[in-house]
Amino acid sequence: MGRYVLKRILWMIPIVLGVAILVFTLMTFCPGNPAEIILGSTATEEALAAKTEELGLNDPFLVRLGNYLVDVFIRHDLGASWATNVSIMTSIKERLPRTLTLTLVTLFLAFGLGIPLGIVAATHQNRWQDSLSMVFALIGVAIPNFWLGLMFVLFFSVRLGWLPSMGINDGLKSYILPAATAMMGAFATCARQTRSSMLEVIRSDYITTARSKGVPERDVIVKHALKNGLIPIITMFGSTFGHMLGGMMIIETVFAIPGMGTYIITAVNNRDYPVVQGGTIFLAITFSLCMLIVDLLYAAVDPRIKAQYEGQNRKKVKKEAAA
Amino acid sequence: MMAEASVQTRKKPRKNSEFLRVMKQLSRNKTAVIGLIILLVEIVLAILAPYIAPYDYTQMDIMNMFAKPSAQHWFGCDDLGRDIFSRILIGSRYSLSCGILATLIGTVIGMAIGAVAGFFGGKTDNIVMRILDVIQAIPGMVMMIVMSAVLGPGFINTIIALAFGTIPGMARMLRAQMLKVRENEYIEASVSINCSKFRIIMDHLIPNCMSPMIVQATMGVAQTITTASGLSFIGLGVQPPAPEWGAMLSGSRQFIRQAPHLVIFPGLAIAVTVLALNMMGDGLRDALDPKLKN
Repeated sequence: MGRYVLKRILWMIPIVLGVAILVFTLMTFCPGNPAEIILGSTATEEALAAKTEELGLNDPFLVRLGNYLVDVFIRHDLGASWATNVSIMTSIKERLPRTLTLTLVTLFLAFGLGIPLGIVAATHQNRWQDSLSMVFALIGVAIPNFWLGLMFVLFFSVRLGWLPSMGINDGLKSYILPAATAMMGAFATCARQTRSSMLEVIRSDYITTARSKGVPERDVIVKHALKNGLIPIITMFGSTFGHMLGGMMIIETVFAIPGMGTYIITAVNNRDYPVVQGGTIFLAITFSLCMLIVDLLYAAVDPRIKAQYEGQNRKKVKKEAAA
Repeated sequence: MMAEASVQTRKKPRKNSEFLRVMKQLSRNKTAVIGLIILLVEIVLAILAPYIAPYDYTQMDIMNMFAKPSAQHWFGCDDLGRDIFSRILIGSRYSLSCGILATLIGTVIGMAIGAVAGFFGGKTDNIVMRILDVIQAIPGMVMMIVMSAVLGPGFINTIIALAFGTIPGMARMLRAQMLKVRENEYIEASVSINCSKFRIIMDHLIPNCMSPMIVQATMGVAQTITTASGLSFIGLGVQPPAPEWGAMLSGSRQFIRQAPHLVIFPGLAIAVTVLALNMMGDGLRDALDPKLKN
């Protein structure tokens, strides 16, 4: 297990480096001359040349890449915005908590509602509860969430006036509508996943054994089935968290929340490329960290994974010995 | 599959029966049939859109600005007095072709990569998978936004960005399938009669890996349509005045208070399409899933 953890953590290094290299390389193909974007189209030829030199754009690609990687990973400096000249790290520190709050509220709602719904559907398979929850889940996946957000605004803010339609000036209250919007997809997926994994577990022999021993149905579900049935949900939790960090971008735009998403999207529209680059790398690192935690949790919760890994190792050793 | 090498005539009836079996299974699934019908209707409407649209989708009419839905204008008119129903009809061409094309391109490229990784294994596999790991470390939507920043907005560029996003998932999936299928005896048999690698991959491995790929691709089209409209919504995909559904939403969201119908109908169009695709995908999965086969 220790080796697995170590290996998994070490594997983060090339991934994160790879992401930085990939994003940096992609961004060099962005249209437009950076010096001109910063100084505007009225700048003189000399000023442009001076700015280009200052930005180090005359250096060969590999030198620029190397400098950037040193800045990011050794000095922890993502550079400054071209538009405002504010350090990107400072902006991220200010904006990230908002995105994180939104993501956490969303996850809480999605899983808090999705898991019970999935369990009800699985324990009442082929009855109306099952069909109803699955229809609900199907619709939840189908509705594009930015549109749902607009509909929520129309109903809850414009018609009823209960909740603010945009911004974050009302504390946690202003996160309710965005979270309710963003949770739809994850909620539906979670319900479906819980249902199918519970159904699989309920059919297994040890559940039949438990039932034949006379364990009450409630205990069979809660004490026996849930434990194994929820393992895939844990993985889902982490990956959903990661995907949501990205998916929040559009929701943030709909509700005008000044988080990471609006930061990057505004930057794309303003051709503020260092922000796009820095923001993306930052999000990717956060995402990879989430995945790392998920993998470790998964191995800790499910002894089969651990056994599998150790089994694999043994096989390798045998093979080597045979060779 | 072995028979197909020697007895050409036996190939056809077997293939047909498999196709028919899936179709039969699918036709018994009511939800899937409803999904399929909705989709077919939408595709026909999209193809015929310029001929059946009641109005020219670019024609502005000051008299009908923000007109509510009525007998003349089924879905009402937008801020410039353009007929929303006609715009949605024409818009279906953008949204559907964007979803289908991007998924198709992404699937083909992804399958090629996955096939190479899955068949050759070892070092090739390792390198390919590690590159995919890196690409997938960037959350999907963020990747799309970076791609559209690099490529610039527009219909073709949106398709390229979306196709790029489809590749890693498809490659991974085909590879996983191939690792499973590779262990079968008929593969061993084809190796032993000295089939070329290309032929083993194309004739024996890929056809037997197809079922989950088809399901994944169907669901992928739905996903892609949502992402495409999302990109257009934030102004990075297809640009107005093109009546792509997401672009329509983006243009009319400022009028949500005075004329909600501007926002309701394009969104409904997306939701219905995605719902139909998901219903069909679910049905296909049930029909193709060997576990449920009896």
